[in-house]
Amino acid sequence: MSNFRKSQNEAHPNKTNTILTGIILLQILFISMQIWLLFGALNNALEENFGFALTTFIGSLLMAIASIWLLRYLPEPLRKDSKNKPMVSPSRNP
Amino acid sequence: MAKKDSGKEPSWKADFPIESKRATHVSRREFAKFLGLLSGAFALSNGFIVIRAMAFPDERLEGEHFVVDADKVPVGEMLQFEIGGEDLIPYILIRLEENKWRAFEQKCTHLTCAVRYREDVNKIECPCHNGWFSADTGEVLQGPPPRPLPQLEVVVREGKVYVREGERENRAV
Ligand code: FES
Repeated sequence: MSNFRKSQNEAHPNKTNTILTGIILLQILFISMQIWLLFGALNNALEENFGFALTTFIGSLLMAIASIWLLRYLPEPLRKDSKNKPMVSPSRNP
Repeated sequence: MAKKDSGKEPSWKADFPIESKRATHVSRREFAKFLGLLSGAFALSNGFIVIRAMAFPDERLEGEHFVVDADKVPVGEMLQFEIGGEDLIPYILIRLEENKWRAFEQKCTHLTCAVRYREDVNKIECPCHNGWFSADTGEVLQGPPPRPLPQLEVVVREGKVYVREGERENRAV
């Protein structure tokens, strides 16, 4: 079955690449911020700074939700469409 | 014969069912998913800190604790002692002057090494990473420790030294 997505993919084979790279970069950005927040929370919780712990938790949670929600936009894996694609015939049939 | 084979995969392909192109693709997808999982784990551990802070608020030291007779500690000396029920917390008692006493937690606020009082420079030293604290207030003077040393208030009554939770900002926990 041919659809818009498929023809797009065929017309712009680099697009998948770019989307994936973008998603991964965004996630790495989120995670580095989370590491930073966690580090701060650990240090500050020792100082009984409850507000800080709560704020960092909310921030971290939002980033986790964002980075999981980003997964929605992961491009589909290239599927082997054996029905539509003509197969290469074995070499013994020239 | 040719017609029959044309729709079929060559038999070696059955042994290696993954196309190389597809393999690299999937692994990047999996990496992205793993990053999502990692991100969730970070959020969880941050939440854990919040729960810990809510469930186990730091306890104040109750009442006064006898440490030592005052004449056992000469001026400029430091004495180690411990207080606590289940987990003992080490403290140091310092006699700065005849009537000037200080008590601090002995665990460095950096990585909990044992600090010690250095009389020659009148400061508290953490030997692990060259951290220095004021012997008077417990403030960080130099080095990596992020917070001042938690302090206890010292009371001397009838030649006996007692410590109790002070009203100071960097109180002991
Ligand atoms: S543990 Fe005290 S300075 Fe690092």
